[in-house]
Amino acid sequence: MGAITIDDGKTVTTLDQSYAAAESRAGSSQPVEESRGNISVIFRRAIAAQPILPHHFRLYFILGSDELTPESMTLYRSVFDDIKGRPIYQIEVIGHTDTLGDLRRNQGLSIARAAAVRDRLVRDGVDRDAISIAGRGKLDPIVPTGDNVAEPRNRCVVVTVR
Amino acid sequence: MAFLLIAAAALSQAAASAPIAQVKTVTGQVVIERSAQRLPVKIGDPLFEKDVVVTGPDGAIGITFIDNTVFSTGPNSQLALDEFQFDSNNFRGSMLADMRQGTLAVVSGDITRSAPGAMKIKTPTAVLGVRGTTFAVQVYGDH
Repeated sequence: MGAITIDDGKTVTTLDQSYAAAESRAGSSQPVEESRGNISVIFRRAIAAQPILPHHFRLYFILGSDELTPESMTLYRSVFDDIKGRPIYQIEVIGHTDTLGDLRRNQGLSIARAAAVRDRLVRDGVDRDAISIAGRGKLDPIVPTGDNVAEPRNRCVVVTVR
Repeated sequence: MAFLLIAAAALSQAAASAPIAQVKTVTGQVVIERSAQRLPVKIGDPLFEKDVVVTGPDGAIGITFIDNTVFSTGPNSQLALDEFQFDSNNFRGSMLADMRQGTLAVVSGDITRSAPGAMKIKTPTAVLGVRGTTFAVQVYGDH
C-alpha cells in the first residue's frame, strides 16, 4: 500500500488509506472527508483520459536455448493480444538466464532470448521501432541463487507493454 | 580535462533530448508548450523534460512515462514536467511535476521504487511526495 505526503512548508499530512483526502490552502493543510461520489465527479474527465495501464509478462525458455517453453508459447498469445488491444504501444523486452555457465555465454543467451521474442512479435505484425531489447545475463536473476545453479524460473524474459 | 568537459556536455544534451513519456489518449483541445512554442498534440507523440501540458475547456490527455508512471489530466489543466530522470537498469531516478491548475489522476510507476522522495508533485500551496500508489490532485481557485 502506498502513501502520499502533503508538505505545505509548515505541516506534513500523510494519506495512506483508500479514498483519504486532504485540502491545502495557503498556509494550512488538513485531512478532509470527501465522498467517493464527489471524488469520481471531480476527476471524471481526468480518469476517463487514463491510458491502459502498463502490463508485465514473464516468458520462460528451455535450458540453454532461446526457444520458449510450451506453456510460455500460450502466454505469448496473451502478450500479443495485450499489445494489439492498445491504440499506441511501447514494448521493452529484458532477457535473463540462470547462473549455469560463464558470464559471457549467459550475456549472449539473455540477449538472444530477448531478440527471439522481439523477432516473433515483429513477425506477427508488431511495429519493430516500438520494441527495445536488453540482456542482463546471469547478473540480475529473477530468483536469486548461488553461482552455477539450474533454476528454470531464471531462464526468462520480462516483457513490459505500455 | 578538456575531454571530460566535452563528455559531460554531450551527456547532458543526450539526456535533454530523450523522450520521457508518450501521449496515449487525447480528446478536445490540448497543446504542449515547448521552448516558447505551443504545439498541437496527437496520440503517439513523445514528451520531453520541461514540456508543459495545457488542456482547454473540453480537453483531456493521458500519458505514460518511461518508468511506467501514468498521468491523466482533465479540462482547464496546466501541468509542467519540470524534471524527469530514470535509469531502467536500476530504477534510480527522480521526477518533479508542477500541477498549476486543473485535475490530475496518477498511477505511480517504477520511479517510486528508487528512494523515498523520488517522485514529487508541486502544487501552488504544497508539495506532494509519492510512495507507490494511485491518487488524484485538483488545483483550483486563486492562489
